[in-house]
Amino acid sequence: MDLTFTPAEEEFRSELRSWLSAHIPQEWTRPGFWESLDDDESFRLRRDWERDKADAGFAGIQWPIEYGGRGGTPGMKAIYDEETVRAHAPRTVNPLGLAFLAPTVMAIGTEAQKKEIIGPLLRNEVIWCQGFSEPGAGSDLAALSTKGIRDGDDFVVNGQKVWTTNAVHGDKIFTMVRTEAGSAKHRGISMLLIDMDQPGVTARPLRQMSGASEFGEVFFDDARVPAVDCLGEIGDGWRTAMLLLSFERGASGISQYTEFRRQYDEIVAVARTLGRDTDPVIRNELARVLTELECLRLHSMHVLTQVEQGRDLGFEASMTKLQWSETFQDLWEVYDQILGADATLDTLPDGTDLRPLHAQAMWSRSVTIWGGSSQVQRTITAERVLGLPR
Amino acid sequence: MYFALTDTQREFDRAVRDYLAQRFDLAAVREVVESADESGGSEGSGDSDGAAGAERSAGSGGNPASLWAAAGEQGWLAVTVPEEYDGLGLGLVEAQVIARALGAGVAPGPWRGTVLAAEAIRLAGSDTQRATWLPRLAAGEVVGAFASRGSAADGLPAVEYGATADVVVAPAEDGVPGLVLITGASATPVGSYDGTTRLAGLTGGSAEVLPGATVEVARELADRATVLVAADLVGIAREALSRTVGYDREREQFGVPVGSFQAIKHALADLHVGVTMAEHAALYASYAVQEGLDGADLAVAVAKAKANDVALQATAAMIQYHGGIGYTWEHEAHFFYKRARRLAGQWGDLTVARERIAALTM
Ligand SMILES: Cc1cc2nc3c(=O)[nH]c(=O)nc-3n(C[C@H](O)[C@H](O)[C@H](O)COP(=O)(O)OP(=O)(O)OC[C@H]3O[C@@H](n4cnc5c(N)ncnc54)[C@H](O)[C@@H]3O)c2cc1C
Repeated sequence: MDLTFTPAEEEFRSELRSWLSAHIPQEWTRPGFWESLDDDESFRLRRDWERDKADAGFAGIQWPIEYGGRGGTPGMKAIYDEETVRAHAPRTVNPLGLAFLAPTVMAIGTEAQKKEIIGPLLRNEVIWCQGFSEPGAGSDLAALSTKGIRDGDDFVVNGQKVWTTNAVHGDKIFTMVRTEAGSAKHRGISMLLIDMDQPGVTARPLRQMSGASEFGEVFFDDARVPAVDCLGEIGDGWRTAMLLLSFERGASGISQYTEFRRQYDEIVAVARTLGRDTDPVIRNELARVLTELECLRLHSMHVLTQVEQGRDLGFEASMTKLQWSETFQDLWEVYDQILGADATLDTLPDGTDLRPLHAQAMWSRSVTIWGGSSQVQRTITAERVLGLPR
Repeated sequence: MYFALTDTQREFDRAVRDYLAQRFDLAAVREVVESADESGGSEGSGDSDGAAGAERSAGSGGNPASLWAAAGEQGWLAVTVPEEYDGLGLGLVEAQVIARALGAGVAPGPWRGTVLAAEAIRLAGSDTQRATWLPRLAAGEVVGAFASRGSAADGLPAVEYGATADVVVAPAEDGVPGLVLITGASATPVGSYDGTTRLAGLTGGSAEVLPGATVEVARELADRATVLVAADLVGIAREALSRTVGYDREREQFGVPVGSFQAIKHALADLHVGVTMAEHAALYASYAVQEGLDGADLAVAVAKAKANDVALQATAAMIQYHGGIGYTWEHEAHFFYKRARRLAGQWGDLTVARERIAALTM
């Protein structure tokens, strides 16, 4: 057991900390600041800030220097995740590119793809979307019907994707496309990297229950993509997708913990304002959630250890997804319980603006759906980890 | 960052588990559970030569001789005793490894009481008390007990292996700091539906003050006791889950293994996540207390709360997902269920553990 980071890692922490404290405006740390902006304004601010951060050398912490990364250790990445959340840095504008596409490209991309994709992605010059879900293919990804027909050096793509995060702000989209006519289920699918800024692609925002429009729908109408822009082998897109999803599910527990732990304190403050902090039932419920949050923190130390030891978590990643998403949702259910009769009001009697907290409560309903729903993760855990029969 | 058992600790873990699986299996546990003893006990299966000088303690009061002898020989009793007193001088992390394995084996016997009595004497005893008791506790020559409730002054209501113990550590007076060593108390057996232990009420005997028992030391001992109970619960939970998964992979109904039904899969998947989290929590709590880390108090309460939760769920699921057979006396599910129920209440039941968490974070 050794829960410390190396001196080099700690040095990185203090360097990052001072950069963050010099570059994050005071008003950004005010609760509710981001929720008070409109989607476009928020996106622009975050995009600019992240470009500056990349220029200062704080992007792609774990990626090799030759591809525009920092060449750091998994420990540095964990520190980065923790410190950025602690400093109230805004959420990334390129979550899908950074967390899923980049590691997949590093693992199976061609040399040209690594050079072309990683650097611009880290500087947020290219915002990536994930085009997996379709109206008829959500959990059952392989039921997709978007088609790609070979035409010379290109594929011509027709179909529709839905629930696409950043659909409106996206520059490129990594999509699952059926490129072998008549192929069934997992065969004959390719992972195509499609330019969204072309006549054959239309993106429309979808309004979410929170009121925001982070996701949308994307239509392909004879969109063209060069065949060289296939990630992994042509026709072998299912394998590429499974690799990519393993990165999605194994998302950093440490940044989740840091963020949720702060939200726990905010919720406790609301309980105090309402005089509910002495109610034994509320105390019991908060302690129950805090227990799960602490377990999430320890689990992320376990995951980091595995990564540093070079072990592949494989299907165990589903456990991380279940633990953080279910706990996060639970936390916000307790929040509602604390508010009781006033659960939906915008402000408390003392003037506390509850809208930012409500936004989180709404968001919590989504986390057990995207990235593979909780039901899907449980099935994976039961079959692939516990070995129960299909 | 290295949050895991070291290779040596892992080997130690394997050795304890292997010993229990091969030399003290569930059939042996059953003999203890079913023996009507209140004073005389089962010998278990496996070899039965007691440790040197262990005649008085071993093989009585639900303390099977072969297992007690093994605990002495393998160093399980000596784990946290300093080397100068013939112990192994290891930490709470290693003790937690043993506790978890004993939980997984639903193993009877006064291991935890003996280790905790030694810890109390190590942390709060005089030089003479240490020299008198530690080497003998480490070798298994005497049995120790650690009372969680009551006081020497007013009586101790239900001490684990109170009738078997040669020396008992207990609070001097209720609500007042201070611990005493009691010898020669008179014991009255107390019934319990968990047959993997023996309980007794204690009164009288001669009490000797442990001079270093400050409030802080008492708190630390309580933390150590809590961690070891949590680890036992975690061991129970993991084993209950694995046995259930194993059964449901084979048991067929409607022409397919029942483990292929999603209602069962999803429940077992959730339990796997829960048990894994509890394993992390118990491991971390043992390390945090051992190293005196900031937040060790929270870590202990978290470990106990989580361990209580999953042990109750996993053992109840063990009965449910074995169906009718899981409700029979013949099946071992009840050993796990009953032990979990008992230990969940020790050193902080769910309400107490959660209130402590609330107090520390609100
Ligand atoms: C905020 C948000 C952002 C998203 N962003 C993206 C994105 O960027 N890119 C993208 O491609 N997709 C995105 N999605 C879509 C998301 O991945 C899908 O919604 C998800 O995979 C579920 O698919 P579905 O909506 O079709 O639900 P369905 O698959 O129709 O599921 C309906 C219900 O049935 C359950 N269910 C389905 N199959 C099973 C089964 N085999 N066993 C048990 N229960 C089952 C599900 O758990 C769910 O409860 C996003 C979704 C949300 C909410």
